[in-house]
Amino acid sequence: MSGPEGATDGQVVRAILAGDTERYGVLVTRYRDRYARYAARMLGSRDAAEDAVQDAFVRAYDQLAQCRDPDNFVGWFFLILRNRCFAERRKSKDVAPLEAAGAIAAAERAEAPVEADERRRALQHALLELTPEQREVFVLKHVEGLSYGEIAERLKTSVPSLKMRMHRAYDRLREQLKDRP
Amino acid sequence: MKTLRAFLLLALLALVGGGTTLHAQDISARLAGRVSPEVAALVQRLATSAAARGLPVDPLIQKAIEGGAKGVPADRIAAAVRALAGQLDVAAAALTRAGPTHPDTDAIAAGAFALNAGLNDTNVTTLARVSGPRHAQGGTLRVAGTLAAMGVPAAQTVELVTQVIEAGGDSADVLALPAQVSAGVSHGRGVTPAQAAAGLARAAAARANAPGQQKPKPPHP
Amino acid sequence: MSGNNFHPQVKQLLDGEITLADLPPALRAEGEEALRLLAAVDREPVMFPGLDTRVLAKLRRRADSPSFWRRLVTPREVRLRVRPWTLVPAFAAALALVLVLVRPAPTPATSAVTVRFVLFAPDAHDVSLAGTFNQWDPAATPLVRTGSPGVWSATLTLPAGQHQYAFVVDGARWVADPGAPAVDDGFGRRNSVLSL
Repeated sequence: MSGPEGATDGQVVRAILAGDTERYGVLVTRYRDRYARYAARMLGSRDAAEDAVQDAFVRAYDQLAQCRDPDNFVGWFFLILRNRCFAERRKSKDVAPLEAAGAIAAAERAEAPVEADERRRALQHALLELTPEQREVFVLKHVEGLSYGEIAERLKTSVPSLKMRMHRAYDRLREQLKDRP
Repeated sequence: MKTLRAFLLLALLALVGGGTTLHAQDISARLAGRVSPEVAALVQRLATSAAARGLPVDPLIQKAIEGGAKGVPADRIAAAVRALAGQLDVAAAALTRAGPTHPDTDAIAAGAFALNAGLNDTNVTTLARVSGPRHAQGGTLRVAGTLAAMGVPAAQTVELVTQVIEAGGDSADVLALPAQVSAGVSHGRGVTPAQAAAGLARAAAARANAPGQQKPKPPHP
Repeated sequence: MSGNNFHPQVKQLLDGEITLADLPPALRAEGEEALRLLAAVDREPVMFPGLDTRVLAKLRRRADSPSFWRRLVTPREVRLRVRPWTLVPAFAAALALVLVLVRPAPTPATSAVTVRFVLFAPDAHDVSLAGTFNQWDPAATPLVRTGSPGVWSATLTLPAGQHQYAFVVDGARWVADPGAPAVDDGFGRRNSVLSL
């Protein structure tokens, strides 16, 4: 994966490990927003997502020597962020307040019909009621737009087990949203 | 047809069995004449199972050889080798918790050394995390184990190593810590290793927070 | 069909494997409900301007301190001072000194260090050194008497790294170095630790 500077992730990682630690900035800038939306949907709060992404970058720096495939830094970084997101949900079992879910929609959309806004908030709220694994497969497929095959490769699991997880998520979401307009 | 099947089965067994037989031969060659056959058999079993778990095997063999050389009774050697295998397992688990990838065998062996010297598994996880990209986990853990072996209490050992690394020390600085604690003990009057270590840690912390250091930018409003 | 569960074909629709037109008329309404659910998904990009600045500032703060430890490290010869109170006669009359003579500024390429082991054991008939570097063989590395009475020594070149050792007095008594870091050997005794 190459960026505007021209150096591949692998080249940058190896330079950092050789002592040119300032070059970590290249990777942070390159991937700063890559999983911002994933973190925001997983955690239901923009602030929590920003903290998670920041922590993940610091953690990735600390463990850079253990990145087995430097050319796939971003895939390894995703796993670190993922662990951080899952840990966050385990810590606070409370559902994020609706205001937080609404804040995402409000901050990033200029004007939208109130009804559509309300439906977005309701779905985000319903997503937070799912297990982290169910929420994740939904977010990766329907927010990030990955195929089942791509998700399976990234999470090192099988397409059938992902589909089972997703179909359960569909049913739970339907149940959550049933009583809303 | 039967002969062909039998031949294929034998060939398969030879392929599979060949690797393990060679491994076992290495171990029995190193132990031959140094320990009793019973101890050798036990070490082989423990080593094979340890290798399957990704643990280093050499420390187990070394410990058995040491016991044989010291004239220790066979059951005592067996107990010591089993205990060491247990420490390797605990060290591997502690390093795995520092994650996200599998620990290397050098780090595991160093972790077991640190545990034996008096650190606990939480200390090992902390030190592995603190090592960051610039310090090999094995090196950090060996230094920490040495400090503990010198009598520096576990909490202060972790504190001292952490402060030096976070103050920007490189691997030479970390490796020098035992000598510095020792120097502190020799040059002071009645200074314990714990006190010498505490003094060094305070100096490192003061250095990291000294005025004139680049302060972090305030958070984005 | 459970009341709250989508029909399996509607789930295929949600998965993007079929279209609304592929559904039988009886499932059209449910299909439309499912598509409305998907339409409510918030796909707006999220950005964190300034996050890279904050991450780098945090990492710089940890990395910026100059390495002042190096000044204390440069005299690379280490001498352990003799402790008078360990000169106890008879059984415990073994005092060990380990002088580490290190080549100036060893680089990663340097992998061997010359070490001189010294033991004060005036009542010993023979003394040897056993450790991880010689398979713990008490016969492999005898110490020799030096000019000073009761003082034995041996000089070895050892690979860099960590070693455990002990002295063997009169072939039977295993003695650790009282001045060196010591660890439990697992057999009821202590081994000394040497880091090069």
